[in-house]
Amino acid sequence: MKKQAAIYLLLIVALLALGACTPVRPAATTTGGDAPAATGKLAEIQAAGKLVVGTSADYPPYESIDADGNFVGFDMDLIRAVGAELGVEVEIQDMPFDTLIASVQEGKIDAVIAAMQATAERDEQVDFTIPYRMTKDAFIGAGDTTIVIEQAEDAAGMSIGAQTGTVQERWIQETLVAAGLTAADQVSSYERADLAALDVANGRIELLLMDAEPAVALAEQNGLKILLITETTAEGGKSIAIPDGETELKAELDRIIQKLIDDGTVQRIQEENGLP
Amino acid sequence: MTTDPILRLENVHKSFGETHVLKGVSLTIQPRDVVVLVGPSGTGKSTLLRCINLLSPPTQGKIWLEEQEITAPGVNQDKVRQRIGMVFQDFNLFTHLTALGNVMVGLTRVRKMNKKEAYDLAMLELDRVGLVDRADHYPAQLSGGQKQRVAIARALGMDPHVMLFDEPTSALDPELTGEVLEVMQQLGQEGMTMMVVSHEMGFARRVASRIVFMEGGYIVEEGPPDQMFDAPRNERTREFLNKISSFEDNGQGE
Amino acid sequence: MDILQNLLTTLEFIIQGLWITVWVTVVALVVGLVFGVLTALMRVYGNRFWRQVATVYSVVIRAVPVVVIIFILFFVIAEYVNLSPFLAGSLALGFASGAYQSEIFRGALQAVPAGQMTAARAIGMSKVQAIWSIVLPQALRLALPAWGNEATLVLKDSTLVFVVGVPEILRRTQQVSARTNEPFIAFGAAMLLYLGLTLLTTQFLGWVERRYRLQM
Repeated sequence: MKKQAAIYLLLIVALLALGACTPVRPAATTTGGDAPAATGKLAEIQAAGKLVVGTSADYPPYESIDADGNFVGFDMDLIRAVGAELGVEVEIQDMPFDTLIASVQEGKIDAVIAAMQATAERDEQVDFTIPYRMTKDAFIGAGDTTIVIEQAEDAAGMSIGAQTGTVQERWIQETLVAAGLTAADQVSSYERADLAALDVANGRIELLLMDAEPAVALAEQNGLKILLITETTAEGGKSIAIPDGETELKAELDRIIQKLIDDGTVQRIQEENGLP
Repeated sequence: MTTDPILRLENVHKSFGETHVLKGVSLTIQPRDVVVLVGPSGTGKSTLLRCINLLSPPTQGKIWLEEQEITAPGVNQDKVRQRIGMVFQDFNLFTHLTALGNVMVGLTRVRKMNKKEAYDLAMLELDRVGLVDRADHYPAQLSGGQKQRVAIARALGMDPHVMLFDEPTSALDPELTGEVLEVMQQLGQEGMTMMVVSHEMGFARRVASRIVFMEGGYIVEEGPPDQMFDAPRNERTREFLNKISSFEDNGQGE
Repeated sequence: MDILQNLLTTLEFIIQGLWITVWVTVVALVVGLVFGVLTALMRVYGNRFWRQVATVYSVVIRAVPVVVIIFILFFVIAEYVNLSPFLAGSLALGFASGAYQSEIFRGALQAVPAGQMTAARAIGMSKVQAIWSIVLPQALRLALPAWGNEATLVLKDSTLVFVVGVPEILRRTQQVSARTNEPFIAFGAAMLLYLGLTLLTTQFLGWVERRYRLQM
């Protein structure tokens, strides 16, 4: 019995030892010179001529697989554009969303592009590039409304709804109510967005502020009108995840993303994939 | 007639835990001897056979096979068993092999013959027991008597110097014992040295060169069949042989 | 028929994952067979030490969810051995199945009558020879029905390898379902494929069983 217990213990210790051995990776070094030679992951990618990217291809229109088995969607088009700028081939690997972070941590893939937001929790495990697409919100009104909203602050003084506990609700409270632009009793809080949409259709509230992506479909279903799509009320955006500490890779990807935003590439593939 | 003995047992003891089964058995067997071991159930006859081929080695005492002391430490027991054939009460044919396969497997695996040699010899051995026409039958397709004859052929294939039979007919229907005993008698006439545990008194009288009567873990009396059956010196021998002879046709096993 | 056409197109897409599912299952079963037979032999014929090793393997592996084993092989040991998703997934399934197959073969080995071993030793076979050419061939035949059952379980467990990104049948089903928004048709097609695979497997193993049945 004693011997058996000893073997169990040994096995458990061995497993723990395996798990505890956190990978020792060479820290990405930044050389201060004028023409820094690429090091770390970036050098590896360039040497291999290949960028291995993980995604979870069940989230159209960001990423999905078409009938011929090709990866398609906004993220896919974007990462190919990034690859072209880097001068490397892009190899895409499909994985469940939950295992993407671990895969990039363990070096199974070089990067993740999966409509992923850089939350604080994830940021502890991996690094994120600058957002390539900001989260956007939509102001929705009734189908026959005459209200015109040109910027977010135009909503002041109108009866407005939002989903409970969302960033949109917080923006209304902090920007409109706290500043005295909208009365507290003009704001309605909803459990679900579809219930809020019904109240807009019934005329119980004039405006609904919510995430722009589901808003398009919701507006269509309920015969509502999208009055404005804006980044002002939203927080954060979607970024590419890369291994922790790969500063050179991050710098290079940040530069490329900024370039693609500036030259209108991001805007163009956004529209091609039907994103607001 | 003073040839070297083929088998010699000296004060062999065997215990299983607290149970003392063999309490000092000494026995000498000459080449071409056919020894029939008789005695009441549980007196250690089968145990004695298993001690001799080291399937369950003695706890005490010595055994010589020809010049070699096989109970000595460091003896290759597998090699010893090749020289001692054994036939069991319940046949123990390998169920996944045909009659031919049962004979061949020892030839190819143990004697390291090639397929062709093994096949030829196996067919020869099956012919010896009259079962060439059953070569490709599986054990389940054979009668009890046929199974036991295949088992004998399997043992013979190893070219043994001694054959041990542990109640070879006890598990058979009475009408099937004849064919097995016939093969055994034939073997005896060919000069095979045999030790047979059996209640077949007719066979013993016809074929045995010696009868050994065992009881309670000891050899009580031994001698040629005529003397043992007709004029035993020991009272217990007389009682037992009388009783068993009157039950002969019942084919009772242990 | 619209739905039929739809189902066929879907099936055509999902079927590309069929061979991956088949290979994952085959590799897992073979690995499991080797581990299962070895550990079963250790448990029945080994000394105290080997019996303990085999028992610990069987107990520990059966206590751990297969997905965890897959993660360990894919992520945890990645620093030492960088396995591909396919290898990590099928090896993990194989280790897991080995623990269950160990139980199957242990029972089968013990079901072979002791006389078979005795008879094999009596013609001069060593213990290893007797196990290899007499006891094991019979045990494998005795194990076949239970092993066939394990084979279909492994086939279904092969869906788990998707967690490390192996695009087998189920993952392709999720992909097509996400694209077409018709989960009923997608998963219906997957069900048909698994049904077909399971039927084929059981038919084949049934044939093997009849062919090699032991008559006792």
